[in-house]
Amino acid sequence: MALRSTASVWGPVVQAFHWGMLLLLLTTIPIGYYMADLPLGPPKLKIYALHKSIGITLLALAAVRLLWRLGERRPAPSPMPGWQRVAAQTTHVLLYVLLFVVPLSGWLYNSAAGFPLQWFRLFNLPALTAANPALKVVAKQVHETGVAVLIALVVAHAVAALKHHFIDRDATLRSMLPLLRSRP
Amino acid sequence: MMGRRRCSGVTVAAAVATLWAAASAVAAPRFDVVPSQSSVTFVGSQQGEKFTGTIRSYDARIRFAADDLAGSSLDVTLQLASIDTNSPDRDQGIATADWFNVAEFPTATFRTVAIRSSPVGPVGEADLTIKGHVKHIPFPFTWKSGSAGATLDARVTLDRLDFGLGAGDWADDSVVAHKVEVVVHLTLVAAATAPAAKQRPKAANVP
Repeated sequence: MALRSTASVWGPVVQAFHWGMLLLLLTTIPIGYYMADLPLGPPKLKIYALHKSIGITLLALAAVRLLWRLGERRPAPSPMPGWQRVAAQTTHVLLYVLLFVVPLSGWLYNSAAGFPLQWFRLFNLPALTAANPALKVVAKQVHETGVAVLIALVVAHAVAALKHHFIDRDATLRSMLPLLRSRP
Repeated sequence: MMGRRRCSGVTVAAAVATLWAAASAVAAPRFDVVPSQSSVTFVGSQQGEKFTGTIRSYDARIRFAADDLAGSSLDVTLQLASIDTNSPDRDQGIATADWFNVAEFPTATFRTVAIRSSPVGPVGEADLTIKGHVKHIPFPFTWKSGSAGATLDARVTLDRLDFGLGAGDWADDSVVAHKVEVVVHLTLVAAATAPAAKQRPKAANVP
């Protein structure tokens, strides 16, 4: 089975990154909004640990995905007006940027708060900085604003894909769907 | 004393010797802590990562002579609100009722009831009181005498559950480890000879 993308469809590796990371984002982002107001206790620390573990996983996946993507061709985009192409391109670049900024700012926030960072109870990651109350405030702001922008971009990205599929009736969405790749 | 002029020199010398022996049986020489060169810390582990808590404020009354263990004693009162774990969030957490309950138990105390000698050095038999729980612990330490004073070093591993620290939901060892290592390093200077002398660090704080 060909792992790489073709002129008409994204390869299985790119698709696995795309849908796998979406699944992880749909898990860890709601956890992130839910956990902050929990009362201090072991359940809170454990749910934070889960949020951080998934976040670190996403950061690692983003790095590997970017490397893979740089070596990939991309399927030819469907015909569309120039402004849409620019908007799509800009959204994709920003999505990649935020897939790094959001977990990295979370890691920085965690480090500046002086908290441990353990990946699924298997190993610990080093602090990016010593405890630093001023930096903690900034990193928290970046993390929270970053994830809000990320959500907005993911929604815009999904709406655009659905618009291509149901209104323009072109192959944009199908090129990222695993079960439909054998279609002409 | 001044009235006892009729005593012979030999009698006076004998009396002084007796008094000295009696006094030293009661109390070995006193030492004051040099705070800037001393530390009382503990090393815990939270979610797989070690952290160090420093107890910044404490009052130590130390009497020690290697050849007078009966007259030696270590008596330390620790201010638990002064714990610094290099994380303000964690410091707030461990002051709460689940942990040290600092509002109700502001201090911990450590008092030797005896000090015995062992092949590796002196060992204090101490009562450690934290959060109303008293536990009798052996406290092996290293004492090094120097020209200006002495240093005392000790490492003791405690189980936080013995003192009701993080019971209930917090008892999970994987979130916060049960074992906590206490590391003590005291730099000491011989105390002023006046028996009622105040601790120097406190005097230094008065403007």
